[in-house]
Amino acid sequence: MNDNSGHHWSFDYNYGAQNPQFAQELIGTLREYYAETTACDTRIGQTFTHVYNILPNYWRGYGGGANEELSIGTAIIERNKDNGFWNYSVHYENTTSGENLRMQFRCSAKHYRSLTDSWRIDARNSGDDKYAELRCEGYLVEDSEVRLRINGNEILAGTVDASAKLTCNWALFDVIPALAQTIRESDDGVDLVLLEDLEQLRPKSRLGFLESIQTPFPLDGYYLYGAGLLPSYWWLDTHGDIVIASTFFETLVLKEKIGENA
Amino acid sequence: MNERPNILFINTDQHSWDAISAYGNPYLHTPNIDTLHRNGTSFRQSYCTDPVCAAARSSWATGLYTSETGVPFNGGHLHPETPDLGQVLSDGGYQAFHCGKWHVPGRDVRESFQTLYYGQRNIGAGGAAYYDSASTHAVADFLTNYDSDKPFYLQIGYVDPHDVCEYLHNHEEKRIPNPVEQGIVSEDALPPLPENFDYDARETVLHRVCRRVDDALIHAAILKGVRDWDELHWRYLRWNYYRFIEKVDAEIGRVLALLRETSLHHKTLIIFSADHGEACGSHQMFQKFTLYEESIRVPFIVACLGDGVLIEKDRFDETHFVSGVDLFPTVCDYASIDVPEGLQGSSLRPLAEGKDVPGRDYAYIESNYWGRSIVTGQYKYVTEYKPKATEDFLPPGPDATQFGLAQLFDRHDDPGETKNLAEDTAYNEVAKMCQDKLLRQEAKLHRQQIVHPSPKRIISNWGDRLRSYWQHDK
Repeated sequence: MNDNSGHHWSFDYNYGAQNPQFAQELIGTLREYYAETTACDTRIGQTFTHVYNILPNYWRGYGGGANEELSIGTAIIERNKDNGFWNYSVHYENTTSGENLRMQFRCSAKHYRSLTDSWRIDARNSGDDKYAELRCEGYLVEDSEVRLRINGNEILAGTVDASAKLTCNWALFDVIPALAQTIRESDDGVDLVLLEDLEQLRPKSRLGFLESIQTPFPLDGYYLYGAGLLPSYWWLDTHGDIVIASTFFETLVLKEKIGENA
Repeated sequence: MNERPNILFINTDQHSWDAISAYGNPYLHTPNIDTLHRNGTSFRQSYCTDPVCAAARSSWATGLYTSETGVPFNGGHLHPETPDLGQVLSDGGYQAFHCGKWHVPGRDVRESFQTLYYGQRNIGAGGAAYYDSASTHAVADFLTNYDSDKPFYLQIGYVDPHDVCEYLHNHEEKRIPNPVEQGIVSEDALPPLPENFDYDARETVLHRVCRRVDDALIHAAILKGVRDWDELHWRYLRWNYYRFIEKVDAEIGRVLALLRETSLHHKTLIIFSADHGEACGSHQMFQKFTLYEESIRVPFIVACLGDGVLIEKDRFDETHFVSGVDLFPTVCDYASIDVPEGLQGSSLRPLAEGKDVPGRDYAYIESNYWGRSIVTGQYKYVTEYKPKATEDFLPPGPDATQFGLAQLFDRHDDPGETKNLAEDTAYNEVAKMCQDKLLRQEAKLHRQQIVHPSPKRIISNWGDRLRSYWQHDK
């Protein structure tokens, strides 16, 4: 625990005068989420959606000014099951970078949510610069070569062992709940290959169990760690939802869930 | 037919000269910067002009030292009449583009360059996690669509590994268990403490007041936090620092891959450098702002992935001294554009082409307005100017009578700078030689009075603290 706000160090970014609303915003978002999910039936068709509030871990100019909201955007993870696969559509909007990402990919229905043959990223910049948009399509060739095609130009993003468990960081919101028991029972965690934001290959990544906490809610903590990655911390609630995902620079806090994980 | 090359200046932020795997560092993996080294010349005696972002970048932008630019620290303000590289290149027929971090206060990057990407909230000091990937997207869009007959100059300012600063801020007010306690890594996975973790406390007053005393002028809150660190915390800082570098290396990798794929690589000169380094535990110090090697010495690679630009490849230049002021004339040399009068730097083109030409035999570095250093082949001399009794806001120098304390290191016998020889009478002549070199260099500078109120306030406040220390604590 931190002497500052009393919350776990992995998501305590009150950070003096620079980021004084962080804990209040984080806990407020979660309280509202729990109040609303228990109050109504949120099941809608076959689509299952998580909506996260993005909080900057460090105020220093990354969020707005003193009079602006702390939140710097929204991440929406939408998926539906179709023919034995999960189709994902992720919308990540960041008002600091000005870049909005739409990522679409398909995964196997197994616990590791392995990426299948192809995926797509549509990036848009809302800033006042020459870069306006970019489309990137990704391919898995012969289960080992990760290739990206950008405006007709194809590059090799890396190679993976055909037997490796290749998944995307945005699928971890489902992988961690599915593998929670396995991770907890493993001394060394579970290995996987991550394709971060569907572009950056992180071949030696690992999920491990951190600890359980009771405050502010009963949560189990997991970490993601690996080559080229700063550790990130993922907190799973008793309903099987990742409610806090804190990477090095930002913290995603669950604010809405639509549908139920089948 | 256009014969002038495209020029790509890729810069990272807070990247020490030795944090590259091709240079033998076993604690990180930088395959893409390694590719640049294999395709170019790495200047190993490369120094920034001033170990802080805005100051060092003002030198890149102008070819001047920081007592000339108006930006002797992060809160400076570029003198309005000073021409910058973007303006000179545009006047010379280049398309001058900028992407990512700029951080030259007093000059709107959008007025000097065409900006590919500069953030919705303009990029300030840090925030690699928000900006670097978007910068790569912007460059990818640019490279895959470029169809002008004009050659381009593109500078890409990646923010990482500067985010290590935020890692440190995170320790200001809370205790974070080290990763061994967390169960994330085993102790043997962490890099060791640097060999120069212990230091000689006989430092300049400027250094003590800015970085060592309880109420240090720069980042006292971090200083307070790290005082509680054990050895594993310091080693974990190093481990994290290397991860930030691996992240930015991966971004560079995508740019290089697309450069090749678009066939622009044959006629594109690539320069890679960093604005300053990172102490990363050396001398029990963090970040930059000091005149120790880890803070001031940076990578500088001149490369070409194809055969269209003559470069000596896969080569270390261990002897010629390179400074941040050399970027401007080097770019202009390759672009066949005359440089403005009064620039301090020299073109590195002949050296990159492998020609046997005399180069600079020392590096001159300024720091925190009053700090000065001269690095020669064997010795390094660090000194400071005492604050003036009445501040006139003209950056100090050259005036040996106003020197304060000094540090002198033998770079051959003590590369970690752990033994200050300045008070050893056996080294009086060496110290005098270094002082003379420093004063001769300073005599060449066109120092300008600081007129902007914001940096004047900083000079006044810092000057008061320094005067007080000299009077009461020294």
